[in-house]
Amino acid sequence: MTKVYEGKVTHRALNQLSFDVEKGEFLAVMGPSGSGKTTLLNLISTIDTLTAGEILIDGVNPHGLDKNELALFRRHKLGFIFQDFNLLQMLTVEENMVLPLTLDYVPTDEMARRVLELARKLGLESILHKRPNEISGGEAQRTAIGRALIHNPSLILADEPTGNLDSKASRDVLELLKSVSEDSGATIVMVTHDPIAASYCDRVLFIKDGEFFNEIYSDERRQTFYQKILNVLSLLGGNVNDLSAARLP
Amino acid sequence: MTFRQLAYRNVFRNRRSYAAFFLASVFSVMVFFVYSMFIFHPLFSEDGLQQLAVRGMFIAEVVLYIFTLFFLFYSMSAFLQARSKEFGILMHLGMTKKQLNKLIFFETMILGTVSTVAGIALGFAFSKFFFMIGREIMELEALPLYVSWKPFALTIGAFASLFIIISFVSVAFVRTKGILDLLQGYWKTDDMTQSSKWLSALGFVLLAVAYTLAALVSDSTVYKMALIIPPIATLGTYLFFTHSIHSLLQFYKRSRGVYWHKTRLVAIAEASVKLKDSAQMFFIVTIVSTVAFLTVGTLASFMSYTGDFRESNPLGLIYISFNGNSEEREHVDRLISQLEGKELEYNMVPLIVKRQTSTMSGNDVDIVRTSDFNRLALTLDFEPINPARGEGIFIPYSQESLEELGEVSVDTRLMESDIDLTIDEVYPHVMFPVNTVNFNSIVVNDSDYAAIDEPLAGFGDGESTFTYYAFDIPDWEETVSVGKELTGIMQQAVVREDFRNLNFFFVNPGEDYRLFKSSFAILLFIGVMVAAVFLLAAGSFIYFKLYTGLERDRRQYSLLVRLGMTEKELGKIVNRQLMPQFFLPWAVALLHSTFAFISLQVVWDEFAELSILGEMVFVLSGFTVVQILYFFLIRWRYIEHLRAS
Repeated sequence: MTKVYEGKVTHRALNQLSFDVEKGEFLAVMGPSGSGKTTLLNLISTIDTLTAGEILIDGVNPHGLDKNELALFRRHKLGFIFQDFNLLQMLTVEENMVLPLTLDYVPTDEMARRVLELARKLGLESILHKRPNEISGGEAQRTAIGRALIHNPSLILADEPTGNLDSKASRDVLELLKSVSEDSGATIVMVTHDPIAASYCDRVLFIKDGEFFNEIYSDERRQTFYQKILNVLSLLGGNVNDLSAARLP
Repeated sequence: MTFRQLAYRNVFRNRRSYAAFFLASVFSVMVFFVYSMFIFHPLFSEDGLQQLAVRGMFIAEVVLYIFTLFFLFYSMSAFLQARSKEFGILMHLGMTKKQLNKLIFFETMILGTVSTVAGIALGFAFSKFFFMIGREIMELEALPLYVSWKPFALTIGAFASLFIIISFVSVAFVRTKGILDLLQGYWKTDDMTQSSKWLSALGFVLLAVAYTLAALVSDSTVYKMALIIPPIATLGTYLFFTHSIHSLLQFYKRSRGVYWHKTRLVAIAEASVKLKDSAQMFFIVTIVSTVAFLTVGTLASFMSYTGDFRESNPLGLIYISFNGNSEEREHVDRLISQLEGKELEYNMVPLIVKRQTSTMSGNDVDIVRTSDFNRLALTLDFEPINPARGEGIFIPYSQESLEELGEVSVDTRLMESDIDLTIDEVYPHVMFPVNTVNFNSIVVNDSDYAAIDEPLAGFGDGESTFTYYAFDIPDWEETVSVGKELTGIMQQAVVREDFRNLNFFFVNPGEDYRLFKSSFAILLFIGVMVAAVFLLAAGSFIYFKLYTGLERDRRQYSLLVRLGMTEKELGKIVNRQLMPQFFLPWAVALLHSTFAFISLQVVWDEFAELSILGEMVFVLSGFTVVQILYFFLIRWRYIEHLRAS
């Protein structure tokens, strides 16, 4: 993948970056600010266009689709989790969760069934009828995860999902994502700054200046994986302030 | 949740931000419906006044329709723009452009249906009340409520078409170039771009030119200026809000001693961001308010015209009989019996008027004798006159002619009868209505009058005299329908434009007065309602701007409070922020209106010497009071919302 932003100053955000994600894998993408993480996610999300290269999701290159097919592709194949949740304020937790199904004209009893099932898994049963401004950040992010899972997408894309959460809520969300990946075999690509968040993943891909830098695989213990991540990050250099030096509790 | 439910919920759960918009559109539907109820009223006849009402209301409906189209267009585009982020999220989740259009279409149709139904329901509920007002103004015996499908069909048809048009058009407001852009949201465009020096100077210059032209307008230029000034003022207003005002603030900011003082720093910084963001809204609110002020003000100024009516029409009835009028006796007797039937006190003075040619001007002159004239003057409580032989006195036909004739002095000769006259005086009261007297009318000594023995050149004896029956009636306003048959015959002649067989002339000023008054009252009634729709719409623009900014303001205020700003200082900042939103467009509109009224006064001076100052002050201060009430209402809600966090 190559992405060049044309403008007053031409900026090469991604430069011949190439990698595979296995089905059912939980992948973290890390890198300093400006390394191209968000660009990468937007490209996979299909809301930004590639300059060169291609992306294949389930064997399909979404960038070859027209606008309409692209919307349908996102609706069926992709699930999204954002740093600031991006829940619709006018809708309740339940309604936010079923939104992808609403767009697909799924029958309402089918929606109700899936919401109940997911709510139990996500611990949202008691707040299904609350509006986003009445719930905590952790609950909002779990709602967003519910929305990302409800249509069983092939790929879930998470953009700093713990960026706006406190450590307790972050841990809940990450453990949830991990169990989703392990139990239902969902494929997750998560962009993050946070080495703790990355330590929950199967693999961490490091990029720098839009290019591949390194990748490491998780072993049995999260603590040692976290150490490894920190080691790579110190090699990465760049903006050290971005990185949290905390030890795992 | 089905797709339709999504649309319903978007509208109903968003009702707070739609509140003012909804109020304005419901009111517009209501006014439209009430007018339709009048227009289709089965008891309305072809009678002049009722016809005027129907026509006036029809025009008002057209104006309402066009205005509502514009209002919806602007409101919807603002609503949709403010919801950019929401649409971005939906499209990110896989909503197609077609689905987005469908969603917006549904939502607009829901808003339209609810507004139309609510407006019609309110209109029907209040139509009895409006019929009562209408009945009073038009002096009808009864204007009962009725049920017909027509007003409903017209209103529903009009507003359904409006909302359908807007549904389709508003879809185009959502730029779907990029989901990324949409996700950035509404406030992305908050950067303070520099305003152009040239354009801001041009704004001031255009406004100055418009005001100067308006202030210097004269009789001869007023109609030309009516076409030139509004575009200049409009463009000037636009530049003023988009550029000039920012240059002023920049200038203010540059003097740090002032700018960095206490809360002023925050208030001014905030105000300048908001002004930039609201420039177009300010412009629209100013123009809409100006139009509303002018509509009501102009119509109110008509009312002051009726106040002047009595001075120019001191007589109760006038009947003029010309040569060959076989029904003279019969007509006059009938008028008298009708007056007696109404138990109205009256005093009739017949004046035999002789016609001669003046050598001085070559025009024919109407001549009245002193004794007749004094008899009439006496009953009207005016002073008698006593011209010597060879002297004549001008009879004024209007307040203006009174002054003009006072400066004229003429030596002339009545050509046919060889009588020399010096005329250098004018009778100090207007006695006869302008359309019943020759502009060359004089009073002469009885002996001179008796000496007029030759007929007007080219005419027979009969044709060179006529009889002017002047009725003095103290209760002159009560003469409505006296001489109805005569008025009818006169009107027919006017319609046919054939006055050959008409050998009398009849005027009933009391009836005319009532007609004027009622007509102006009807127009004022119609105008006030339309203006109310305009002002509500303007208010809704302001409300919406505030509402979309509320979330952001709330965050900012909680930050400021955390930084150590006291509640009292906060109140001060809120005031400083809301005041310009409310009173800046209003003040500019007031200034525009004031200058427009200066020009209007010139027009009025041409017709009738009267001042519209009183009416204007009344109208403009009325609007000011309403605006201040609205300000306090919104300020209260705004602070409540801020406290909520």
